[in-house]
Amino acid sequence: MTVRHSETGVVILEDACAVEDAESLLRLLLATPTPAIDWTSCSHLHTAVVQVILASGIAPTGRCGDAWVRQWLAPEPP
Amino acid sequence: MSALQEQFVTEARELVRQATDDLIALERNGASSERIDGVFRAFHTLKGSAGMVELPAMSLMLHAAEDLLAGIRHGTLGVNAEIVDTALACLDQVSRWVDDFEDAGALPAQAGADGRAMAERLRSLLPGRAVQQPRLPAPGSTPGGILGLPEWVLRLIATERGALASSMQERPPVATAICYEPIAGCFYNGDDPLQLMRQIPGLLTFRVEPREPFLPLAEIDPYACNLRLQAISAGDFEEIARIFRLVPDQVQIIRIPREALADVAERGKPGDQPLIETILEAQCELLRVPDRTEDFAGCIGAATRVAENALHYGRQPHLADAVGRAGGMALAQRHAGALLSALEQALVALAGRRSPLAADGGARPDATTAGPSERTVDRVLRVSEAKIENLVNLAGEFIVARNALAYSAGQVGQAIGGSEVASSVQRDLDAIDRLVTELHGTVLQLRMVPMAQLFGSFPRLIRDLARQLNKNVALVTRGETTEVDKTIMDRLFEPMVHLVRNALDHGVEDALQRRAAGKSEAATISIVASRIGDRLLLEITDDGRGIDPRVVRNKALERRLLPPIELAALTDQAVVNLVFSAGFSTASEVTDISGRGIGMDVVRAAIEQVGGRVSLETNVGVGTTVRLDLPMTIAMSRIMVVEAGGQMFGIAMDAVSETLRITPDRVSTIKSNDGFVLHDRVVPIISLAELMNLPQQKRDAAAARLLVVVEAAERIAAFEIDAIRDRLDGVLKPMQGLLAGARGYAGTTLLGNGQVLLVLDVKEILP
Repeated sequence: MTVRHSETGVVILEDACAVEDAESLLRLLLATPTPAIDWTSCSHLHTAVVQVILASGIAPTGRCGDAWVRQWLAPEPP
Repeated sequence: MSALQEQFVTEARELVRQATDDLIALERNGASSERIDGVFRAFHTLKGSAGMVELPAMSLMLHAAEDLLAGIRHGTLGVNAEIVDTALACLDQVSRWVDDFEDAGALPAQAGADGRAMAERLRSLLPGRAVQQPRLPAPGSTPGGILGLPEWVLRLIATERGALASSMQERPPVATAICYEPIAGCFYNGDDPLQLMRQIPGLLTFRVEPREPFLPLAEIDPYACNLRLQAISAGDFEEIARIFRLVPDQVQIIRIPREALADVAERGKPGDQPLIETILEAQCELLRVPDRTEDFAGCIGAATRVAENALHYGRQPHLADAVGRAGGMALAQRHAGALLSALEQALVALAGRRSPLAADGGARPDATTAGPSERTVDRVLRVSEAKIENLVNLAGEFIVARNALAYSAGQVGQAIGGSEVASSVQRDLDAIDRLVTELHGTVLQLRMVPMAQLFGSFPRLIRDLARQLNKNVALVTRGETTEVDKTIMDRLFEPMVHLVRNALDHGVEDALQRRAAGKSEAATISIVASRIGDRLLLEITDDGRGIDPRVVRNKALERRLLPPIELAALTDQAVVNLVFSAGFSTASEVTDISGRGIGMDVVRAAIEQVGGRVSLETNVGVGTTVRLDLPMTIAMSRIMVVEAGGQMFGIAMDAVSETLRITPDRVSTIKSNDGFVLHDRVVPIISLAELMNLPQQKRDAAAARLLVVVEAAERIAAFEIDAIRDRLDGVLKPMQGLLAGARGYAGTTLLGNGQVLLVLDVKEILP
């Protein structure tokens, strides 16, 4: 399971998130009143997943596990 | 006018209509994010188009409107009537300008001032800080054209300046700019667009944004790619090109010469940028203070100097020059607008790298690189109405020629009937017949337009009227896709406006009365179009107070519309239809009776002119429905050719309800007039020959009489004729030349033998 809900209601992205995970992610986000995303333990994000994150307007918490995404899409604040 | 400009005119009108609808829906039904997005998109596209045809005044004004809508979109501003009013006024201004642009190819001289005034008015509705949102540069406003680089590259360099500066070595590299717009269905092809970007060597900066503003999450299709990916790389051009070799149609790869980045590389003080931005923002604040008349020149001068210095310090000579020029313009115009917008554009150019995921939540709908490539291609061919009209006329002439051929074929048949030549002619005629009918039908189809075009004006009309009358009215339209001939639609507009206005003004009660009557406070007016056979049915219904037949009866009596006995015999239903009679009422009296009446005879006349009928149904206290029964097309009329007094006449089939032969025993004579009973109604018999002052044939008293029963304008009669000659489809031409003033005729058409057929105007000749 690469996309799941934690006990506290945070949507967690794990390992390599493939194209079909975009739909799971979207479903979980819609099912959560004030959704949050944790992407620290993902190793690779498919474009479709990144698109859902962008469209949701949510700034995921933590250091992105996908190094390229971290460097080019979500630089850590200095 | 160039093709681009023509397209702009057409599109702008469509966008104005769409934005108007959305704005009204926004006000009526509340601000759903989808609706706000709709309005925003319409304004945004309008602004972009205005930029493309170089109408800066329009861009400027729409820019301000966009700011206002962005405020609503971001939730910092609530929708209220004032905002909607102002936004609608802004759209009105756009409409006027589009008209001017179409007529003269340019905006009027005072457009700049008007645009700025409207922009000010729009901005005045913004709460204090909402103006600080990052702005889009107007298309074409970036220091374009240098080094022959496309606009999007320049913009990318400008927006990514900060990131570029930090990732570049001392010496600027020869770089490559990449703009990759994956097709929406790319995920289904197994593509992972980011995967391609990941492979780019020597990446200096990367940027992702939605191509179209993101829809709300609930409506998003996670498998439709809506992204634009842009990057600047110091890597090998050939290698980059190889990465994208499979998506050549979706990617643009451009070499950036060293010089283009020189400016960026030199700027080694990233820490200064916020300071420069703050200085510019402060100048903007200063300039936005209204009513600075006394120290105006000083204020503009100081703001220009400060901003110029700050920009020079930040090594932004282009921006500094632009601000300097704008300052001069502002001084000359005695208006801060030009300087303000130059400063805002400088701020955009300065806006350094922002992380799409961190800074503003990623929801950045403002596609800063919006270019012509993203415009959806409408697979529709636009043809001028005149050309279509020409084609329709030609097809009409063709039918006349066909009729002539049919006549000749008939003669051939008579002369050498049964011969091979005759049957060959007949066969060919049949083929031509089929083709001509098909051609005519197809050509007429070209003029068919959906009712949505007509309905489009009503939300605005109803909103404005309802506000004026202080009534709460919702409009419901159905059957927008029903198609009708353009000519008919054009003629429908005025009567419809009349009917809707009447419904609102007189039909709908005010909130107090509605509550007292146990109705919901918001009234509903519905306009429904439907197709019944080859007729179009339009119903305008309100749930207002209805029309009291007693009041109409009294009024009709007072006005002597009908002899009292006839009036007494009329059903309530027939009585309310008297409101359509000419002279039923005049404006001053209308409001006393329950509503309708103003110019209803005018409505009826207009509807009948296009071959339609109008009727009315009402229930006191419940509401009123006006029903318009219209032909779908007026280009072709079905005509019955009859003979009377040795002459041929045409009667439009629309008016004919029946043809029959009756034996003399069914005819009863009242005074000197003949009549008979048909479906429980007494129908007077009128000799057509007598009516047209033609010699009458001697009739065998015992022979059956041939009658055509016609109905028009609520009257019925049977024309006695000698024979029915033909039925034909013809193009009715209005009476021209000497005959133009002749009364009693609807027009002429040609018979197969070339003879002119006079078509009777039944309504006119019915006694």
